[in-house]
Amino acid sequence: MHLQQLSRAAHGSLRIDPDKACGEVAGSHLVPLSRAELRQASRCFPLFFVKDLETGQFYPAALLGLKARENLYWDGTAFNADYVPLNIRRLPFYIGGEDPAQGMICIDGDSAGIDPQGECRILEEDGSDSAYIQGIQAMLATLSQQHEATRRFAQAAADLGLLSEIKLDIVLDDGEKIEVAGLYGIDDRNFEQHFDRIETFEEKMLYTAMMLSLDNVAGLVRRKNATNAELAAWHAPAAG
Amino acid sequence: MTRMIRSVCIVGGGAAGWLTAGLLAAQRSLPDGSGLSVTLIESETIGIIGVGEGTWPTMRNTLKKIGISETDFVRRCNASFKQGAKFARWRTDHDDDFYYHPLVLPEGFPTVDLAPYWNAASLEDPATPSFSDAVCFQELLCESHRAPKLITSPEFGGIANYAYHLDAHLFAELVREHCVERLGVKHILDDVNGVERTESGDIAAVVGQRTGRLEADLFVDCTGFASMLLGGALEVPFVDCRDVLFIDRALAVQVPYESDDSPIVSHTVSTGQKHGWIWDIGLKNRRGVGYVYSSSHAEGDDVEAELAAYVGPEFSKLSTREIRIRAGHRAKFWKNNCVAVGMSAGFLEPLEASALVMIELSAEYIASMLPATRAGMEVVAARYNEITQYRWDRVIEFLKLHYVLSERDDTAFWRDNRDPASIPQRLIDQLELWRYNSPSELDFSSSHEMFPAASYQYVLFGMGFKMDPVMQRHALRDPAAAQQAFERNASLKRQLIAKLPTTRDLLSKLEQYEFQKI
Repeated sequence: MHLQQLSRAAHGSLRIDPDKACGEVAGSHLVPLSRAELRQASRCFPLFFVKDLETGQFYPAALLGLKARENLYWDGTAFNADYVPLNIRRLPFYIGGEDPAQGMICIDGDSAGIDPQGECRILEEDGSDSAYIQGIQAMLATLSQQHEATRRFAQAAADLGLLSEIKLDIVLDDGEKIEVAGLYGIDDRNFEQHFDRIETFEEKMLYTAMMLSLDNVAGLVRRKNATNAELAAWHAPAAG
Repeated sequence: MTRMIRSVCIVGGGAAGWLTAGLLAAQRSLPDGSGLSVTLIESETIGIIGVGEGTWPTMRNTLKKIGISETDFVRRCNASFKQGAKFARWRTDHDDDFYYHPLVLPEGFPTVDLAPYWNAASLEDPATPSFSDAVCFQELLCESHRAPKLITSPEFGGIANYAYHLDAHLFAELVREHCVERLGVKHILDDVNGVERTESGDIAAVVGQRTGRLEADLFVDCTGFASMLLGGALEVPFVDCRDVLFIDRALAVQVPYESDDSPIVSHTVSTGQKHGWIWDIGLKNRRGVGYVYSSSHAEGDDVEAELAAYVGPEFSKLSTREIRIRAGHRAKFWKNNCVAVGMSAGFLEPLEASALVMIELSAEYIASMLPATRAGMEVVAARYNEITQYRWDRVIEFLKLHYVLSERDDTAFWRDNRDPASIPQRLIDQLELWRYNSPSELDFSSSHEMFPAASYQYVLFGMGFKMDPVMQRHALRDPAAAQQAFERNASLKRQLIAKLPTTRDLLSKLEQYEFQKI
């Protein structure tokens, strides 16, 4: 990764292929979410709280695979889901600098998404910002504005005692056993017990959405089984 | 008439007083005030001794029970993580003379006992790695200044077993604040200058200089060496154990780190000296160092010069504090309606950090077993005395074990420590048995044991003890299982050294971030 501060002079003429840019997450089994998108994301993915390895603090994330570096939503050319999280859609753009709230927009100069054949341009021919880059700016603005609210939301879940560690213990159709640890989710009994201590209706709704999203683990397992079946078919000797 | 036990008065406010108050209030008091009433009266003029800067892993559970978060505790007490003890210059006094007593059990223990295999290997090849290094990954973590856990580990949970190094003054302050603000403990600042007795000999009240009479159903004596209630008012005699453990004096000094990024050592270092040994305890902001010695053996010798040589050139700028130690304990610990906890009950040299853990065990017992009535107290007190006596005896024996196997011949201190007349008979008997069978859990079958068999193995084999190889052959029947365990240990070392941060790094992170509850 080679982050460069985005400038009209240096990057104005670049074209971007957003699908290729998303290839960055082909090997990610977790993607961090912003509080602003939890409700939408909860329909597609199982959502968990995960500990940041550097700080130990919780952040909300969507589980995309059942093993490290496995993304079952990446089909080889695109991120294939009804909802694409902001942290994937905004690629190959990042917020640079120490403080996300004060951050500047950067582009990853090494991204495969920078492609002369790409369908999206950064500037229109008249030199104005393209609709595409305006969309990116809006996403990055949401991510940075919601950064602190997201952190507080996750910490509140921990402080209220809503979380418990969820160990996934899965047996796939081909008999393979998979154990996934290090995930924390809204525990329904804790949620019921502490429900009245949650201050706002919106928070109650978001925690509910996250709790119900755990049912999407079944969908993830189906994807995994389907992928394995495809691979098995590919390896099977030709008939006849 | 049945007299109900509704109130406890704790006299003395060091770690003993406040931990007892905390455990009692957390387990016995109720939010509506209907439970046990706990009052602590402490002197404004008498300071606390503040020894016991090393804990056992039990402290994690104690803090959890009292309700203090690990992050708060570490921050407030300048605490660090302790993963055992390193004993240097105890056996031969050579530069390479050291061994570890880590807090993690030997790999596979007790299902697979690696001691006979290690014993056989080391008899064959003297260059065999030390026992603690061969059977346990924790020595490597200690030698590499690694922490026992990650910032992502839950509070009080670790990857390697651990205890703490802490500042005892700050610790007493934190527990006091928590007890008063959260647990409803009543706090009185006053000097106790009188004890009133009932006809039956119970304590009716203690009398504060300013605040007057303070009645209670149970009195806990946490007055330190003074033992004002149990030793003073109730005249329970002191059982001296200087004939076994000779240490009676400490010279303590606080040593600043050379720089902000000096490594923090995550084990207690105990280094043998001419007339005793030096403790070295790394806190976050400084080291606590002290020379504990036998004043009669050291007579005429310059003990301060020995301590200065250990600390280095900066010693001249530091101020030392001398503490007199009276090794031993009371003949009883609970008499009538008075129980002593902490140094008022007894004290031993801090070789295995037994001071704070004895407080925790005592307070825990009192909190759990406190009877509902005065009549029940006789039964509980008798049991408590039996258990506590057993614990003191085991600690004394275990401390003595560190000395009896020394080969040091440079001073009378080390030679006298090997005099059979100074060794408890039970320890002599055990050592004879261990010539043929490695320490096992069956040697320590009480539910009130202080040290597990593994601890005896670490010290015994660390001090160079060898078992009879001929009589050990039956214990070498499953070399494949042993090999697997040795390999597991080697593999754990590789994994953990790659994964764990340095103690300094983890403590720096804790300034900004907290351990999660789960």
